[in-house]
Amino acid sequence: MTREQILAGLEKAVVAGNKPEAIKEANAALSAGVKALDAIDHGLIKGMTIVGDKYALHELYLPQVLLAADAMYGALDVLLPHIPKEEAKKRVGVVIGVVEGDVHDIGKNLVKTMMTAGGMSVTDLGRDVPIENFVVNVKEKDAHIVAMSTLMTPTMDGMKRAVDGLIESGLRMKVKIIIGGAPTSQEFAEDIGADMWGMNAQDAMNKLKKVI
Amino acid sequence: MAMSHIERAMASITNQPVDRLSVYPIACGVNRKLLSTPTTYSEWCSDPRKFAEAAIAGYKYFDWDWFFGLMDLSVMAADVGSGVRFDEQNTPYVVDPLVKKPEDYEKIQVPDVRKGRCGVIIEGTKLFAERLGKDIITSGFIEGPLLALTQTAGAEKVFMDMYNHRSAVHKALKTFTQFDADFTKAFATTSSPGLCWDYLWGSYSCLGDKEYEEFEAQYARELNKLTSDLGKAFCIHNCADLPHLDTQVKAFKPVIYSMAYYPLIPGSPSPKEAIGKGYADNCLLAGNIDPQAFIRFSTEKIEKVTIDLLQEVKTALCARGLHSRYVVASGCEVPPALATKMENIKMVVDTTKKYGQIECK
Repeated sequence: MTREQILAGLEKAVVAGNKPEAIKEANAALSAGVKALDAIDHGLIKGMTIVGDKYALHELYLPQVLLAADAMYGALDVLLPHIPKEEAKKRVGVVIGVVEGDVHDIGKNLVKTMMTAGGMSVTDLGRDVPIENFVVNVKEKDAHIVAMSTLMTPTMDGMKRAVDGLIESGLRMKVKIIIGGAPTSQEFAEDIGADMWGMNAQDAMNKLKKVI
Repeated sequence: MAMSHIERAMASITNQPVDRLSVYPIACGVNRKLLSTPTTYSEWCSDPRKFAEAAIAGYKYFDWDWFFGLMDLSVMAADVGSGVRFDEQNTPYVVDPLVKKPEDYEKIQVPDVRKGRCGVIIEGTKLFAERLGKDIITSGFIEGPLLALTQTAGAEKVFMDMYNHRSAVHKALKTFTQFDADFTKAFATTSSPGLCWDYLWGSYSCLGDKEYEEFEAQYARELNKLTSDLGKAFCIHNCADLPHLDTQVKAFKPVIYSMAYYPLIPGSPSPKEAIGKGYADNCLLAGNIDPQAFIRFSTEKIEKVTIDLLQEVKTALCARGLHSRYVVASGCEVPPALATKMENIKMVVDTTKKYGQIECK
């Protein structure tokens, strides 16, 4: 297979949400000498971008987006270990998580997927994340972006505590902070000292692209 | 002449002229703050007497026109065996879903709805319906099968399994439909005249028409019919951003449809648009004050928001030739957080009383 055929295969597997096929194509890419970074940028990310665009237009829905993301992550597991360290360091680092006291993570996972598809290096802290974990990981991963979400009103204060934690640790000025989740708003983001608010995954990515 | 709450509510359902539009911010858990004995959220949602006493205290304090007995969305998942975390003042939520692997869908069994937290809701609904029934129209509240399943397995897993393990998902949905049927029959033993279904996955942010039909609507129709057959007014609550209005309002034909409005999300239907497109022609719509306003806004600001909503709704109703088919409500539950301002709930009710008169020219 040619390089173009392999890249097209990766793209197609992601758009179809076909994880086994995506993994197969990722291995084929490496075997054929395609650079892992090229396979990601011109295959997987291209496919995920198509899925994201179709989701925004309501041509695809959440199940298909989740399956596409699963396919992309399957292939990334194959490809990421083959990216040279110096190349990996060039990627914008993100620390993302659902704040402490909340386990609703479907929105966070969508944002993570779009960030990954946007070429960022995402550290996913998961859900119900203690505030100090955001601070520790920003430091350890040398992250440039902190993304936090919550679906519940009582846990919104956790976002402010995380922002305060970043201020106290002296890390606030080196990161952009974006928040999201149903009860949050731009006004709330401003109140707690975050830089921006993402209405949804696409909106979050559009806003982040403007500042990085 | 002023109408009674029940006269006003009945007139709104049947689109008759009213002395003013009716109002009910969906305040449930937050009413525990009105109880004379300090009551945590976990106590309120585990004790039918506290659940009912808070409802009664809410009506007495706020004097609204309706009451819907919403608890939280982990009730059915908990009663089939999912692990739920109960914080003192936070809404309980599932932390250990029963379904972790595809074969786990088979493990779901219909529980005895008289026990567990379903039993708390049934008993609590019975108590508040008996006490409030002479004053206002009340409704029980129940999770639809897909919602209950996503709470039991995790939404992300269920959505992916719709394609990867389709038959297992359908089997589980059939089990939850039976669970819901039993739950509905138990609600029918209460004197509450309504039963409100939470069908929140009917959103174009989540499912298209095809998936919605396959994974919820076909089951919902069966339960909607059962609700009506048992003599209950069938209502729907859906706080999603892009609701499936044609299916849920025009095809399902609920008596009341409670919806939310997300002004920043393109396509989210405003009250004016929902009325203008005919969704209130045969259904009493309820909405659309932002639930966060009850925590974050000043009383002056929430008063203005309510006045603006009333003006928008009255103009739209008159343009459509309707008299009263709108309830001033909150789209989603008023946050049951301690930080919620009770004075803001009262302001929405009082402002509707003051400015809710509607006379179309």
